Amino acid sequence: MTIRRFVVALVGMSALLVGGPPAPSAQEMTEQFIPVGQSPGLSGKYTVIGKLQSVNAREQICSVASTAGTVNAKITERTKIWLDRSLLRQPNAKGTIADLKPGLMVEVKLEAHLRGAPSGPAEWIKVQVAASP
Amino acid sequence: MRSRELVSTALVVLCAVVGLSGCKTAPPPDRQSQLIAKGRDLFFNETFAGNGRTCGTCHPAENNFTIDPAFIATLPKDNPLFVAEFNPELKENFENPALMREFGLILENLDGFDDLKNKFVMRGVPHTLGLRTSVQSPGGPRTGWSGDGAPGDGSLRSFATGAVIQHFTKTLHRIPGVDFRLPTDEELDALEAFQLSLGRQQDLALPLRLKGTVPKRGQEIFLDNTLGKCNICHVNAGATANFPGRGSLGNANFNTGVEDLPDQPARLTGRRVPRDDGFRTPGDGTFNVPPLVEAADTGPFFHNNAIETIEGAVAFYDGEAFNNSPAGRALAKADPKDKGIELDGTQIVAIAAFLRVINVLENIRQSIELLETSRAVSSSTERARLLARAIRETDDSARVLRGGGLHAEAVAHLQEARRLADKAGRSAFLGRKYSEEAIREQKKARAFLVE
Repeated sequence: MTIRRFVVALVGMSALLVGGPPAPSAQEMTEQFIPVGQSPGLSGKYTVIGKLQSVNAREQICSVASTAGTVNAKITERTKIWLDRSLLRQPNAKGTIADLKPGLMVEVKLEAHLRGAPSGPAEWIKVQVAASP
Repeated sequence: MRSRELVSTALVVLCAVVGLSGCKTAPPPDRQSQLIAKGRDLFFNETFAGNGRTCGTCHPAENNFTIDPAFIATLPKDNPLFVAEFNPELKENFENPALMREFGLILENLDGFDDLKNKFVMRGVPHTLGLRTSVQSPGGPRTGWSGDGAPGDGSLRSFATGAVIQHFTKTLHRIPGVDFRLPTDEELDALEAFQLSLGRQQDLALPLRLKGTVPKRGQEIFLDNTLGKCNICHVNAGATANFPGRGSLGNANFNTGVEDLPDQPARLTGRRVPRDDGFRTPGDGTFNVPPLVEAADTGPFFHNNAIETIEGAVAFYDGEAFNNSPAGRALAKADPKDKGIELDGTQIVAIAAFLRVINVLENIRQSIELLETSRAVSSSTERARLLARAIRETDDSARVLRGGGLHAEAVAHLQEARRLADKAGRSAFLGRKYSEEAIREQKKARAFLVE
């Protein structure tokens, strides 16, 4: 086996076996039905919950004011946006950046889910749709 | 007359003494035991205000915490497992009753809930035994068939939340607080503690000093990294992988090509069964490594219940679907002769015989534990529950050995153990004695399997 073939095999095997850096193994599909603040093991620990301060549609960044300070979340093509309509007793639904409006309560899970990470790409954003007064 | 009264009194006193001796006072349960007991109650009784299902609906204790077509056939029509057959709200796109009854398959919307008619997969129900040994990986916890079965932090603790949303809902709208309620933090703690208490708490340390020519050879092939290669991805017949040159991978995911098997039973029906792409969305084609100790009595096998027998499951790794898969090719690349897994019929049967024997050894361990616990509890209901489980484990042991034509002498002792456990359950005064005798028979059976 040539060195080149060995290196190719090693890289290929690594990709097959571990797929690069440790990937989050949480299920996304049922996550969308969990209301803001109730995601088990995540909410309050590894997510940011607060009011949307601003949304920069051009830069695809939103700022959230939480008790721990302001967090800037980058919205990428991977970011899921979900509308939490549980207060309306309606099914939760997929949303878009257009649904992110300042003043709304949101929960943001950053991709680098380190406690206190001040900014970064968002894995998902839940937008709480308030019941009408 | 007086002597007759004396005899009667003596008999009453004797009965009371014998009776009380069976009521050994159990120590007060500690906090962990209380949490496990609460978790057990939730697991089998809590519907979370949903469609009537509980965790135990698909993970019944009386069937090794899983379901298969034979067990499903024993259930009444109004069992909540069949909710899609009698709840009009769930009639379409919630389950496929025909595939559930014929193959034990459950519907899951792992690629999203936006196109229920077309986006779904059909999966078997994994047992929940030995979870303490089979969930952790360096990349975080891995649950369910594809390792991403839980929302939230992806942990076993969070698993119940996802299960309630997918399987407990009253309607397909899945509105929390309307169609179900989500488990509380305290409930998740208790459910996790209960699930972690089930089955093995640690991995085996192979090789075992097995008796019996064929199982012994099966163990050798299993452990031979140039022949069976089983121990590479199922270290000590568990759920962790140890790939040559890479060290321990913990509970890993692999694409083993199960989806490429020809003639998959569910697809033979002509019903729509979309390809299951495994881990994440969109999937990378990988599935999670299950432990093998519990395999022989928890079939059918693989995420799609594609293979009914343990021999067939072993034979899969000798086939084209596996050897052409990414995992099969990786194994071949790591082989000095660039060889995948090549086994002959006798070798396949030998590995299966080994898997049957280690499964029975675990069943015997559990049976003895259940019988011993039954001797210590004061509640007759609890004692009956424990004895019933011990009997079922013993039945499994006998069935698994008989199915492989293995250890006929051990089977005879297991049958005697079963008879005694049954007697223990029916006896008011001599239950502890019969349980003790049943334990002795279990140990005799074990002595035929291993030194």
